[in-house]
Amino acid sequence: MSRKASISAREFETQAIAQLSALLGVASRLTRNPADAQDLVQDTLLKAMRARDQFESGTNMRAWLLRILTNTFINRYRRGGLERSVLDGPDADPLADGWISASTMESMRDPESQALRPMLEQEIKRILDELPEEFRLAVVLSDVEELSYKEIADIMGCPIGTVMSRLHRGRRLLKGRLYEHARALGIVGPEALVGDTSEKQEPVIDLAQYREKRVARS
Amino acid sequence: MTSSCRNISPLLEAFGDEELAADKLLEVEQHLVDCNTCGERVRLNQALHVSVRSAVRAAAPVMPGFEERIAAALRAESLREESIDQAVEHEAQHSRMLSWRSVVPVAAAAALTLVWAASTSKQQVQSAGTTSEAHLTTADRLLEELVDHHMNARGPRVTEPALLSQLEPEVGVPLNLPSLKAYGARWEGANVVPVSNQHAASLRYVMGGKHVTLYVYNSTRVPIESRLTARTVRNNEHVYVGTRRGVSIAAAEHRGVGYALASDFSDDESAELVAAVY
Repeated sequence: MSRKASISAREFETQAIAQLSALLGVASRLTRNPADAQDLVQDTLLKAMRARDQFESGTNMRAWLLRILTNTFINRYRRGGLERSVLDGPDADPLADGWISASTMESMRDPESQALRPMLEQEIKRILDELPEEFRLAVVLSDVEELSYKEIADIMGCPIGTVMSRLHRGRRLLKGRLYEHARALGIVGPEALVGDTSEKQEPVIDLAQYREKRVARS
Repeated sequence: MTSSCRNISPLLEAFGDEELAADKLLEVEQHLVDCNTCGERVRLNQALHVSVRSAVRAAAPVMPGFEERIAAALRAESLREESIDQAVEHEAQHSRMLSWRSVVPVAAAAALTLVWAASTSKQQVQSAGTTSEAHLTTADRLLEELVDHHMNARGPRVTEPALLSQLEPEVGVPLNLPSLKAYGARWEGANVVPVSNQHAASLRYVMGGKHVTLYVYNSTRVPIESRLTARTVRNNEHVYVGTRRGVSIAAAEHRGVGYALASDFSDDESAELVAAVY
């Protein structure tokens, strides 16, 4: 009763090695540690090798490997599962899309200086690492690996609507923190409320102030 | 934000992710023609998308040697699979031969072979003897190496059971930690030791103040049983035992994985212990 794999060991090795960079990128953001990330990728590929007869030829090998990687991470590195308590709570960040003007958004997306780019990358990496795990994973799978909502839902074991919600909340947190960063660097100035002012009487000019008011109200 | 923006805004992320249904796509595109604020939202989302991708990829380059490490691990796994497949195939063939319908013709063939063998030249007999001796010498050498590693054990490379799997690629067989707690043994850690041209995992335990080493290896590549004495323990399980330089060695095989236990205990105790590890 020999193994009946749909893909030979040699073929699997070739295809898996081609996905190393993608797997390492996601593993690094999950573990936040290069050595752990390399171990996670190795564990993932060995598991995938043993289970390769379950891989459906013609489907997305990268998405399949990422699903194994995510499960391995949850089972081995975080036995308690992902940070669901954080996810189930209210939004931690109050920044809403309508609060930033078009000119501020333009300044944020184009700091007009290549010199700022490495700093921005570091900042994005830091902010990403601070995001709750499930937001971080959704953002990385979508923005870095460019997987579809359906593929991300399969990997994360949740409905597509949940993927959209996690993506939205993760990106909103990212934008909010980048806005603070851009303000600290002087790339954008204090922002007045824009858009439909009839609903919001008090212009929110600073996130710290907003939080203070929010705490005071609660 | 206009009321139109309020309707369109929730769709902009899915628009950027190319996940919008065709009718909504048209609606968003028409809105973007006239609305600079929503257009800027889309561009900010795109900029963020590109920045995140660039930041993540820059932060995790594939380091030199990592690809080779993975390739070696996958090849070791492939070899392990092959050896298990061969062992399973061998077992299947063996069990097929046990059918009584096969016994008569096989016995007849064996008798003919014996007659033929008795009439062959002396040279052939000598050749067979030499092969057998070479086999025994290999087993002796392997046993000596296992005893050496037991008596001169290095510090453990792994002390967390969860990390034991990291040694699997080198050893080429799955590694699960037998607790042996029922015998009062405490696990100290694991290492990988060379045994001739192969590698075995060396799991060290302390039991009653004495050290016990459990070797785990690919049984087809580390054949030591031929120089040990067969014995049946527990529920008809076959193990092999013997003593070298005062060290008791008990060996067993299960699904292509070999286990050899080296200790200062008696052969009976070693045999009992090795039968308890799988």
